[in-house]
Amino acid sequence: MVDEKLDCKGMMCPMPIVHITKRIKAMEPGQVLEVLADDEGSLEDVPAWAGRTGNVLMEQTEEGGVYRFMIRKS
Amino acid sequence: MTGNDADDKVAIVVSEGSYDKAMASVFLGSTAAGLGMEVHLFFTFFGLELLKKDKRPKLKGMYRPFTGMFEKKMKGIGVESFQGMMDTCSELGVRLYACSTSMEAMGLKKEQLRDGVDVLGASKFLDIAAGSKVQLFIG
Repeated sequence: MVDEKLDCKGMMCPMPIVHITKRIKAMEPGQVLEVLADDEGSLEDVPAWAGRTGNVLMEQTEEGGVYRFMIRKS
Repeated sequence: MTGNDADDKVAIVVSEGSYDKAMASVFLGSTAAGLGMEVHLFFTFFGLELLKKDKRPKLKGMYRPFTGMFEKKMKGIGVESFQGMMDTCSELGVRLYACSTSMEAMGLKKEQLRDGVDVLGASKFLDIAAGSKVQLFIG
């Protein structure tokens, strides 16, 4: 299911979004990117980013202060 | 990615060249570009200095000596250097403009500026800003 993984742990805003943007650009439509982040800001930033860019945030979970986002490139 | 109507455009004026203003500019610029927006950054007065090749902005006043400490801290949380963030902005398609009057006033030539900078007057920038839903002033 997951085509690529991106570890943004330890990064603060805006770096997770910057790295997600670069990675998604290099992927094919339909492919899924798994992102791990621990910046609390990413909790709202990633959904906002997905909403603006039209990429699909399929799933969002949290475990021990680490957020996991599953994004499908559209 | 989205089209280019006003909703998807951001016009930002940068009129100061200190480290904090510089970073705020590249953060907002790169993020907006990441959100799929068309971003226009207009550098004027002391902000123009930020377009100089290899420019390393410093914190203002009494905080100036702490710039290096701050840069190190930023690096620790994954943030690139100012030049690195400027490169990222360019990579993401952020348009960079130098104010023509400021260039003259500061005695700066286009050759001294980083690649990909366009020289612009206030009218053209305001024309762009008028067509942008988001307009910000960093100064």
